[in-house]
Formats: sequence, structure tokens, C-alpha cells
Amino acid sequence: MAALTSRSKKSIRFEESDLLCKNGCGFYGNPSWQGFCSKCWRDVYQNAKQAQVRADEQKHKRRLLPGVDAPSFGKFEEKKKQQTDKRKNTVRSIFRKSSPDTQQEVPPDRTIVRRASIETQHAGAEFAAFLRTLKKTTALDASKQVRGFVERVQNMADAPIDDLSELVIAFYQAMSERVKTHALYRDMSHETADRLLDFVERYVMTRLYRTVFCPPTSDDEDRDLAIQDRIRSLHWINTFLLDIALNETEDSMRKLVDQAITAVIEMDSKRAPQDKLLCITRCSKHIFEALRMSKDAPASADEFLPALIYIVLKANPPLLQSNILYITRFANPTRLMTGEAGYYFTNLCCAVAFIEKLTADSLSMTLEEYEGYMSGAIVPHDPSRQYNCEDLAIMQENVTTLADLHDRQQRLMAEAMQLQQDMSNFSLDMSKEINAVLQRTPLVIRPSKVKVDLDAETTDADLLPPPLQPIIMSSVSSTPAVQIKEIVSVNFATEPSNKVSQELVTEPANQQETAKDGGALVESETSRIASEAGLANGSDVIVGSPTDNVPDVVELLGENIPDIVPADENVSEMAVAESANKNVINNELDTETVGVVDVVNDNITNVESTNKTITGGAV
Amino acid sequence: MTMGGRVDMKVVMLGREAGGKTSLVQRYLYDRFSGNLPYQATIGAAFGAKTVNVNGKLLTMGIWDTAGSERYEAMSRIYYRGACAAIICYDLTDDQSLEKAQFWVNELKQNEENCKIYLCGTKKDLVTGDNRNRRRVDYFSVTDYATEIGAEVYETSSKTGEQVSKYS
Repeated sequence: MAALTSRSKKSIRFEESDLLCKNGCGFYGNPSWQGFCSKCWRDVYQNAKQAQVRADEQKHKRRLLPGVDAPSFGKFEEKKKQQTDKRKNTVRSIFRKSSPDTQQEVPPDRTIVRRASIETQHAGAEFAAFLRTLKKTTALDASKQVRGFVERVQNMADAPIDDLSELVIAFYQAMSERVKTHALYRDMSHETADRLLDFVERYVMTRLYRTVFCPPTSDDEDRDLAIQDRIRSLHWINTFLLDIALNETEDSMRKLVDQAITAVIEMDSKRAPQDKLLCITRCSKHIFEALRMSKDAPASADEFLPALIYIVLKANPPLLQSNILYITRFANPTRLMTGEAGYYFTNLCCAVAFIEKLTADSLSMTLEEYEGYMSGAIVPHDPSRQYNCEDLAIMQENVTTLADLHDRQQRLMAEAMQLQQDMSNFSLDMSKEINAVLQRTPLVIRPSKVKVDLDAETTDADLLPPPLQPIIMSSVSSTPAVQIKEIVSVNFATEPSNKVSQELVTEPANQQETAKDGGALVESETSRIASEAGLANGSDVIVGSPTDNVPDVVELLGENIPDIVPADENVSEMAVAESANKNVINNELDTETVGVVDVVNDNITNVESTNKTITGGAV
Repeated sequence: MTMGGRVDMKVVMLGREAGGKTSLVQRYLYDRFSGNLPYQATIGAAFGAKTVNVNGKLLTMGIWDTAGSERYEAMSRIYYRGACAAIICYDLTDDQSLEKAQFWVNELKQNEENCKIYLCGTKKDLVTGDNRNRRRVDYFSVTDYATEIGAEVYETSSKTGEQVSKYS
């Protein structure tokens, strides 16, 4: 409106000094008609009014639908529709707000509502999840009780905080009573009941937090500010003045102190009383840990309280008084009176009370000293602290850390070099060793073992040692006697017959002995081979099938037999001939090594028999 | 504070600094009954919870140790607020500690009428046998005083465990 009138004023030009009507109609004007005569004023006024109405309309229209300039009936319809839509939206939003889940006090600032509702929703979801584990009727009743109570309290948000506190405590008790006595909760275990009450407390307080934490009806805020200023003015108090055995120069100790400080500051960010108490408990635990480290024994209350005071002074937790008062007013009294958390909370209350009432006396110093410290004239001496300046301490710490890092890096470099050396040495050594091994034991690729088909025409028969070599005879009918005769005759032929006969005559005993010796040797050797072969057969380690063994054993035999039977070449030759004639080997080889051993045994007997023959022949 | 046959109660330890409160608590919690107790280990020795069976009822005792230094005397009211029982310790070798104990008794009488008071002479091991002459506090004068204020008296030694278990 103001803008409009000023615009209309600007559009009409007139000379202020003129007494006549500004329209120049000849009549005198009137100041109350803005210098117009009565007739002209009516015209001007009408125009201005119309212009205003038009402008209003346009303004309105622009607000609803930007970009539309001229009003038309079609647009009007559209406008109307939009307006109803808008109204519908608001109606819906009103409904949404009035639904019990999200209803809470609606502060004018929308962002605050949204932020609050996230935490509320979280608490609500937890509560709902817990309720789902209960019986349906029980859960329904519990949630009805809780929601009803929350609404009731929110409706009387302006009541004095102590009344609200009483109301909440009474609700806890009523709820506890209901859980104990009501039929719906009868078959609930104590643990579940405790948990239910815990959830009730958590949910109710999360919902009511904005209403009852640091309420405008109380002087909590002033007390917050007061304690904050107080703590600030007492910044000079150190562990030495409070007789605390906390050596803060040690890193681990300082870490614990920092953790304690963080925990007590974190308290303000929690909503439910038990969460706040948990923060205090955590803080206290850190303090105890630190105290125990500094003197190697569990700390008692005599040491704990001063340490807590010191932590509170160092931390200066935000809204400290509000938090303490909130917990005092709205936490379940049982929790505060008996539990461990209650004990730590009480200690915190004591610490705050001590800080509030702190005087020169309570620090056992003179009033002058105290005043001096308070005004900053004197800086307290703290022998436990090497540095009064925190930054200097940090710098020193960094220097040590860097030096340490430097050391470690050098060590790392040295180790890396060593590793490199080792690696090159290793490859050299390795290749050397491999070459040595290769030279020592050249790789011989043996022909793969083929299954011996004894009935087939053997092509590699000449690989066999002489005693086993099959000698294929043209006719089986030729008797060994013939051969022996032949051989003997050969022998006889090469040597003077007399001599030989003499020898044969003179040395029959000798020859028999040798033969016997040889036989005995062969016997012992064969038994050894037999046992070896038996071993080889018994354990399947060496080869899978007995036939595969045969070549090995044959090898062994081939190695051994020539050594064993050197007594008389003739004898061995004869033995070969004998065995070959009998065709034993071909038949026996394919069975088992035992068979081979048999063959050998046979050979021995043959040898013996031949000896006999020889001797007989000679005789 | 009852819940289904379980009773939670708060027991507060009062007494002069170095009067043996903490030792007494330690003795009570860890030694004597430690075998049959589900004691939740706490790092510090200041708070202890102990469950005892009294006449078929499970009694959970929270034992609160307090700072004995005179510096924190003014705050002690916060500690014993709502306490079911108070154990006031005095040092048998220190007659000043008994004066302090009497101070606590008066405090309690004024502020917590329902709180049961137990007087407890500590460090008895120091005044028995050859060290009899170190005793500064006469047993009978204390018992007289106790009957006057309606309290019970025990003389204990946390070192030997003598009579420590009587508080229940």
C-alpha cells in the first residue's frame, strides 16, 4: 500500500505553492484535497482508487502465478483451482502434524522441527522395534500410555519445570507399577520389564526434550552462563593445585584425559537421560584408568573427585548446569540413587558444586594468592608440567616424533638395501647350486616303462643281463649235455688235454668247493633280493603292479649275479645255457619277482647239477 | 525401589581421609565373598555393587565411596542424599578421626533421618597384640556413643578381614 501511494503521488505533478486548483480549472484548491478543487479532487481520487485496485489485482495474480500479466477468465479458473489445491495441501499437512507419531510442539521455525523429528523418529523406531518383540496387546497398551502422556505434557509446556518433573517422575512410577500389577504385563520377565521401562524413559524424554531441556520458564540458562564464566576464570587451576597424581606429560595419560574431556562434552549432544549418564560414566572410567596408570593401584574416591573436578575445569562442558538439572529432574530416580551411573553423576554434581563454591581455602592457599591467580597477576607453578605453553609442548612432541620417524626411515632404508643385496645373492647362489646339481646328477630321461608282454617277440631282450638273456634255440630237442660237451670240448681244445684232465682230476674237490661257495653266495644274495622284492611288492610305494617290478629286479639280479658267480666262467656259461634251454625265464618272468627268484634258484640248482656233471664227466 | 523381590539400596561410606574406607570396601567386595558374587569389575575402587541374599531376598547394594578430604566436606550432602545406610569409618589409631565421625553422625541425623548408621573402627590389626598402646579410641566409649545415637559399632581390620563381612 505504501509503495502504491507513493507511486501515485509521483505520477501526479503539481506546484505546491499554487493556491488554485492544481488542475488549473480556475477554482481554488484545498490542502485536504491535496491542492485540488472539490470537483477535480473527486476525479483524481477516483482515478487513483481504480489504479490501486488494478495494481492490487496484478500483485495478487503475480504471487499466485508468476508470468501471467493480464487477467482472463480461463486464467481465473486456473487460479481458483490452484487456490483449492493449496488449501488441500495445508489441510493435509495439518492432518499429518496432528497424527500422534510426529506431533510435537510446533515452533515457528521449520528447520528446528525437522531436526528434532529425526531424533524423535530414531527413538520412536527403537521403541517400536522393542514393542514388536512384546505381545501385541501389551505393546499396544504401553504405546498408548506413553503417547497419551507425551501429549499431555506437551500441552502444558508452559507449566513450571518442577511440576513437569514431578509429572514425569510420577509417570515413571505409574508405569513401573502398571508393569508390575496389570494383567497385560503379567507374564513378562523382570529383564523385559526393566527394558520396557528403560525404553519408555528414553522415548518419553527424547520426545519431550525440546520442551523440558533448559526451559524458558527456569533460570537454567543463566546458571549455564554463570558456571561457564566461573570455569573460564578458573583456567589457572592445575593438577598440582588439586593434588592430583596425573602426569599429563605422558602421551597415554594425556590421551585418556582427552577422552574423558570429550566424553563429558559429548553429554550435551545426547537426549535421553540414560545416554547422558552413559557419557558421564565413560568420562569417569577414563579418569579411573588414567589414575590407575599413574599409581598402579585402583583409585579411590579421594583421588577420583579432584580428578573429575580438574576434567570439568578443562572441558568446560556446554550447558553444564542445564544438563545436570535435566538429569536430576527427569532421569528415573532409581537410576540416580543406586546405579553406578548414579554414583558418577553424583560425583559430577559435587565437582560442579565445588567449582561454584571454590575459595582460597578450598585450594589451601592464601587469599592474596587466590586473588592474584584470579586476576592473572601470578601464574601458578606446576612442577608436573614442563611447559606452560601448550604449543611449545606440541612442538617439542612433534620434534621427537619427527626424529623418531627419521630414525625409522633410515632403518627402513638400510633394511631395504640389505634385502636387495640378499635377493641378488640369492639368485646367484641359486643358479650356482642348480648348476652344481645338474653337473653332479645329469638328467637322464629313462624310457618310460612299458608293460612287458612276454608272449610278444622281445626286441630288447639283449638289454637283459647275460644270465637272463633268452637264447632262442632252433630246436628244443638239443640237450644241455650236448652243449656242455661242446663247451667242455672247446675248453679242452684250447688247453692241453693232459693238463686239463690232470687239473680236473687233481682239483675236483677244489672245484666242487668253489661251486659250492658260489652257490651259497648266490643263495644268500637271492634271498636278500627276494626279501627286497617282497618288500617292494608289499608296499605299493615303488610301483603299482607286480609286473612293473620285474625289470628292476632283473636289473638287480643282473648286477649281482655276475659278481656272485665268478668261480668258473664255464659254470656260469653252462648255467646260462641250461636255463635258456629250459625256457624257464620266459614262462616265469611275467608272474612275479618271486618267480624270478625261483628262476635264480633254479639256476643255482642247475649250476650245482652242472658242476656235478662236469666232475662226473671229468671223472 | 523394590522390583520383584530385588531390593536396591545405597550404602554410603563416610569418614576422614586415609581412614580406611576404600580398603574396607575393597576387602568387602573382593575378598570375603568374592567366590559367590557376580561382581561387575569396575576400574576404580570408588563404586561397588554387590548382591547379597538376605532372608531370601536378593539385595543389590551400591556402595558409594566418598572423598574424605575436608576440602570436599561441603559437598558430602550430595553423596548421602537418599542413602539407606551409612558406614562411618574412624581410625582406631587416630582420635581425631572419631571426632570427624561424630561430625558425620550429626550431619546425617540432621539431613537423612532414615539413614541407618554404622560406626566402624578400622585398622584393628594395628592395635592388637603388642601394639595395644597405639590404640587411641576406646571401644567402650564408642559403644556408649553408639547406643546414644542408635547406631551399631564394629571394629574391623581390612588387612586381616576381621569382622568385615558383618555389614549386610
